[in-house]
Amino acid sequence: MYVASVDELRLKFPGTDTLLFEDVSVSFTKGEKVLLLGPSGCGKSTLLQVLSGIIPHSLDVPMKAKHVRIPDNWGYVFQDPDSQFCMPFVDEEIAFALENIGVPREQMKERIEQLLQAVDLSVPPHTNIHTLSGGMKQRLALASVLALEPDVLFLDEPTAMLDDEGTELIWKTVKRIAHDKTVIIVEHKIEHVLDFVDRIILFNDAGEIVADGETSTIFHMYKSFIASNGIWYPGVWEDYLQQKKKRATNEERQEIIRLHEFRGYRKKDVKIHVPKAQVQKGEWIAITGKNGAGKSTFLHALMKLIPTDGEYEVEGERLAQTKQLARKIAFVFQNPEFQFVTNSVWDELAYSLRLAKRGEQEITEKVEEMLKRFHLEAQRAQHPYQLSMGQKRRLSVAAAIIGGQQLLLLDEPTFGQDAKNTFALLELLESYREQGTTIMMVTHDEQIVNHFATRRWVIENGKLVREETVIMEEGEMRCEIGYSLS
Amino acid sequence: MRLDIRYRETWLHQTNPTFKLLVMLSVFLLVLFVHNPNVLINLSLGLLLLFFFYTGYPMKHLVLFFLPFFVIFVSTASSMTFFGQGTTTWVRWGLVHITKESFFRGMHLGFRALSFALLGLLFSLTTRPVYLFYSLMQQLKVKPKYAYSFLAGVRLIPVMLEEFQTVQNALKVRGADEGGPVKKMKRYAVPLLSQSIRRAQRIAIAMEAKRFSEAKNRTFYYQIGVSRYDVIFLVTMIGLIGLSYYMASVFPYFPLTDVR
Repeated sequence: MYVASVDELRLKFPGTDTLLFEDVSVSFTKGEKVLLLGPSGCGKSTLLQVLSGIIPHSLDVPMKAKHVRIPDNWGYVFQDPDSQFCMPFVDEEIAFALENIGVPREQMKERIEQLLQAVDLSVPPHTNIHTLSGGMKQRLALASVLALEPDVLFLDEPTAMLDDEGTELIWKTVKRIAHDKTVIIVEHKIEHVLDFVDRIILFNDAGEIVADGETSTIFHMYKSFIASNGIWYPGVWEDYLQQKKKRATNEERQEIIRLHEFRGYRKKDVKIHVPKAQVQKGEWIAITGKNGAGKSTFLHALMKLIPTDGEYEVEGERLAQTKQLARKIAFVFQNPEFQFVTNSVWDELAYSLRLAKRGEQEITEKVEEMLKRFHLEAQRAQHPYQLSMGQKRRLSVAAAIIGGQQLLLLDEPTFGQDAKNTFALLELLESYREQGTTIMMVTHDEQIVNHFATRRWVIENGKLVREETVIMEEGEMRCEIGYSLS
Repeated sequence: MRLDIRYRETWLHQTNPTFKLLVMLSVFLLVLFVHNPNVLINLSLGLLLLFFFYTGYPMKHLVLFFLPFFVIFVSTASSMTFFGQGTTTWVRWGLVHITKESFFRGMHLGFRALSFALLGLLFSLTTRPVYLFYSLMQQLKVKPKYAYSFLAGVRLIPVMLEEFQTVQNALKVRGADEGGPVKKMKRYAVPLLSQSIRRAQRIAIAMEAKRFSEAKNRTFYYQIGVSRYDVIFLVTMIGLIGLSYYMASVFPYFPLTDVR
């Protein structure tokens, strides 16, 4: 007997020309653990929403299906940890779910504690959700969904916004609590999921089912298809490194940044302290550390977006204002959307050049060059907000660096990006580095540190505590990379 | 950016929020129709006492909260005093014309503004929005649909403040923090609004995914009832008003009872 199924589904988003799904049929039996895999934008999340009845009950999207079977009792965990709670405190959020299904008040306290224990969230129940990390928020989301006592769990990229540690904990939790439930998962980072699911359904760009079967069979038979669709599968880095070209090392030693007893403040408290550090031209420095250690604050201090003191020189100069620094340093924020100031990709790129009063012809040339280099030629007339995740990220980097700055600061630029876009971005950055641009990047990804950075700075409790040179492996093969971008 | 400030719970926090709201609204209305400045001054002083000693916040914060309203008090009082009309001239200096009548009216207006501000502060400092909406649902039978929408909205405020700061930084770095107010408005409004609208929609869907709209026999995590604190509150307020009138008639500050 099927617990969830849809027959001959047709669905189209208003404003688009093509059907997202054309006669797609899929069904799930009780207790199955299923992974839906496919390129970004192929409609996997939409399918999850149809199967749970969110479409059309909560989200009005025109759809037609011969038959839809929605599970009697289901729970849905969303991607974004910041937009699935309606209450300010942990206990109130779980209570919200309990209230909805009419659990008597006297039992709530106990249930809340059980649920928090089940997802391994060891905080006092009355904790402000705002103070939790992304990983903890997602486990809270899981807890409040479990409060509904679901038979079927829909997980819609629950770890897309989490670092490695958070991701692992989420899946560990899911494995522990969901063994007797039907679980339907959409996920791009599949390393921790593969040994949990027993069935994979593979979609292509057009929203058609390419394959549907046992995990091991599908994963082996369609590995190249999976690889070409930007999915983070185990071994993706090894495969990528095989075809990555060898890095050109930069021999020239020229100092670009010098810091001595440099401090950054927020509300008069020292939030970042760098006793002594230097950066050479052409380096790629990975700034790592735990959540809340002060990595982003460090970048903000370098840009003088927060009050600072101590010695800080860029190319031998001491600059006091953000405006002056912005001429030498390009800054890319974590959320690209906040940086966009114009209404088209073209204008966005031209913006800094126009501000610097460059000639129209020079602007045109430069913008065209960037459009090509960052693979945004087809999107030149689009509004920046209409771009895909990967395109937005590339545009934000291109627009930041178009002024010809020699130093680039990036705050977790690969966050939430699929494998294809991550590699494409890293290679763009590497090409800049080879030309002498210096890169300082906050990241959680060990693989990026090991294979792209030249040095690692570790920040702990608001202090730069360690510098390590990253040893590059010998014997990396030189050949052109084959990641095409769209 | 965090908005939580540590405070101690006092009996004002324990009062039923709906009841507190209704009592405060009636005092508000009453203040509108008081024309005796002596009464108003007494009442303001009484409310000031409650504000400084029974809201449970550290004095430093209380002074900070109070400061903007004090400025309003001074500016309303002084502008009415300086420019109001009257017949008994005290001082005339260019445009400034202080008369006995304008002075009393100015004082009266200032204290009225002050007592409104104090009522608002007293309420908002001692009422958690969550309890208020639970109480509104339980005592006034407000539909959960509205109550929870407000609560979800309240949760978005600190997030928006954080985003505002990010946008501010991003614009600074890009050199886009200059230009006319309209242009600037647009630069802030577009990313902030588009982000909030999307977030609001996602939260709404997440709420429905937790069976919010299907709930038939909704239970409540917080049972907000009536307690002895409500009696204490009502008695205090009535006592305060009564005392204000009594003291005004026995020990008046000014020898007049109606500023009209």
